[in-house]
Amino acid sequence: MQTTNPRQRLLTLLSIPVFLFLVVPTAIVVPVALNDSRYITFPPEGISFAAVAGFFADKAWTSALTASLQSAAIAVVIGVLLGAMAAIGLHGRKFPGQQAVVGLILAPMIVPTVVLALAFYQFFISLGVLGSILPIGLAHAVIATPYVYLTTRASLAGLNPALVRSALSLGAGWLSVFRYVYLPVILPGLVSGALFAFSVSIDETVMSLFMQTPSATTLPVKMLTDIQFTLTPKIAVSSALLVTVATLGLLFQVMFVLKRRSTARMLPLAVSAPN
Amino acid sequence: MTTSVISAAANSRTTASAQGSIELRQVRKTYGDVVAVDELDLVVEPGEFVTLLGPSGSGKTTTMMMVAGFEEHTSGSVLIDGKPVDALPPRDRNLGVVFQNYALFPHMTARENVEFALRMRKVPKAERRQRAETALDRVGLGTMGGRKPRQLSGGQQQRVALARALVFNPAALLLDEPMAALDKRLREHMQEEIKTLQKSLGISVLFVTHDQDEAMAMSDRIVVMKDGRIVQSGPPEEVYNHPLTDWVASFLGDTNLIPCTVLERKDGEALVDLGGLGIGRVRDRGVTGEKYAVSIRPEHLKFSSEASPDNCGPATLVSSTNLGATVRHRLTAGGHELQVRELSSDASGRPASGAELFVAWEPDKAQLLVLEQ
Repeated sequence: MQTTNPRQRLLTLLSIPVFLFLVVPTAIVVPVALNDSRYITFPPEGISFAAVAGFFADKAWTSALTASLQSAAIAVVIGVLLGAMAAIGLHGRKFPGQQAVVGLILAPMIVPTVVLALAFYQFFISLGVLGSILPIGLAHAVIATPYVYLTTRASLAGLNPALVRSALSLGAGWLSVFRYVYLPVILPGLVSGALFAFSVSIDETVMSLFMQTPSATTLPVKMLTDIQFTLTPKIAVSSALLVTVATLGLLFQVMFVLKRRSTARMLPLAVSAPN
Repeated sequence: MTTSVISAAANSRTTASAQGSIELRQVRKTYGDVVAVDELDLVVEPGEFVTLLGPSGSGKTTTMMMVAGFEEHTSGSVLIDGKPVDALPPRDRNLGVVFQNYALFPHMTARENVEFALRMRKVPKAERRQRAETALDRVGLGTMGGRKPRQLSGGQQQRVALARALVFNPAALLLDEPMAALDKRLREHMQEEIKTLQKSLGISVLFVTHDQDEAMAMSDRIVVMKDGRIVQSGPPEEVYNHPLTDWVASFLGDTNLIPCTVLERKDGEALVDLGGLGIGRVRDRGVTGEKYAVSIRPEHLKFSSEASPDNCGPATLVSSTNLGATVRHRLTAGGHELQVRELSSDASGRPASGAELFVAWEPDKAQLLVLEQ
């Protein structure tokens, strides 16, 4: 920006407070987590890793972290499988009711989470499977699938349909067509979809809260319940942890995925920070 | 980029496809109420180069896609090497297909692209590498095997697509407008290369194009299609010189269409009344219709200094345009507008516009046809 005209300079000036407004509340948890104090305070009184060490020494917090990672793993695997299959299955097809099918796939993005949470709660209660991390992971998979579907669909837009035909004419079966034609094209979409699925699951609180049991409490739920009674810096540590994970995911996306043009039409980077 | 590279390399081929006939029997394809292809009968003999020529929407690409197995025909039967393949998926039809935009796998190198069909056929690695190299040599790309498609020019991509379609010794080759994306010079060059390659391999080719020059240059036989039906089929010269309808005549280049009245038809010749151009003898292939016309290509109409009773009429020169190699003359004769084309080297000393002269033709170069439009 060598030739900045006054208008551009004004825009830059105006965007700085907006940027700070967006980033500072999220970033502030990091110094708070490293605070040398027994309570959450700001500004920090001194730098110390005591709270971080305390977090990893506390079984209740580490098991919450493990539960979150497990549910995220379930959500990523199932979400990627379902979302990618839906995107490939619907690619290049036109049939009556197609819009309804797409709407159904995307519905979990729009339906209020609390409605889904109640529905899943009743559903899993009636199945009698509440009490493990599996139902939470499955519920997260449902809200993660549309993200994978959208990112995969975006990368498929760059697929030349003649490639499928040419692979078929050369003797490829459907498995080879997937491996040699679809997979190279959708891989960036799958990676960003997986990242979205991961961050959606890690961040999800409402459904996890509905389905929580002592043996299945995710990190956000643990944070929410603890903050009502104590102001332990471990909450800040877990927040900082989530911020770090989200930032790493974002960086990964920028470095390895966004470089590819096929995902240029991707979703806005709505990697959500913990509340 | 020389033709000789290819012809020399092609001689080294060991397995020739003596087989490779394609046959369509009463093939019909409908999309809902729309008939895309109707009652199509077509045979490609082993080693024959057959071109489906027609405007867009004539059903030529649909026909090819039904042969390849990408489109299912509504009724009728497709046979390859004499065996029905109606129930076979594309992968089992053993046909090499070159698509309009080549459809090379973008993430694979040229060699990997060529190897693909062999990989699908579980050919051992060493053998498939060697065969891919041979195939690339054959199209003059022996040194380009390590490049990705985006690092190759359009013509080179086209050659890779050809090598890929030929490497597994398919029964026949299907080419879907393979030269549409190339510029004119490269297109003409590739036409010769493909033709040379096809001849030396002895492979049957079904070729789809809307470009009549391309069809003329490459085909053993041209099948002209319109509205899902074959309107005429024959060797290029025959279709060009002896079109059966005015539509075929105009689709295959410039022509003079002179409405006429048939006076007498006998032994492949007809005596016609051409109005102001007098009475003339023309070729007749026995087509019948309501209205008739005579088609004479501009290069088959000659100037004549004196009148003769047959195949000759008075005309007035309107204008002459030098097109470089040829000169185009516009004339009026008995209320008809005529075009005469002759080589620039023959055109010197022609009278200026407005001159009264005679035009003449050989009966064999004038064709009686049905006026449809």
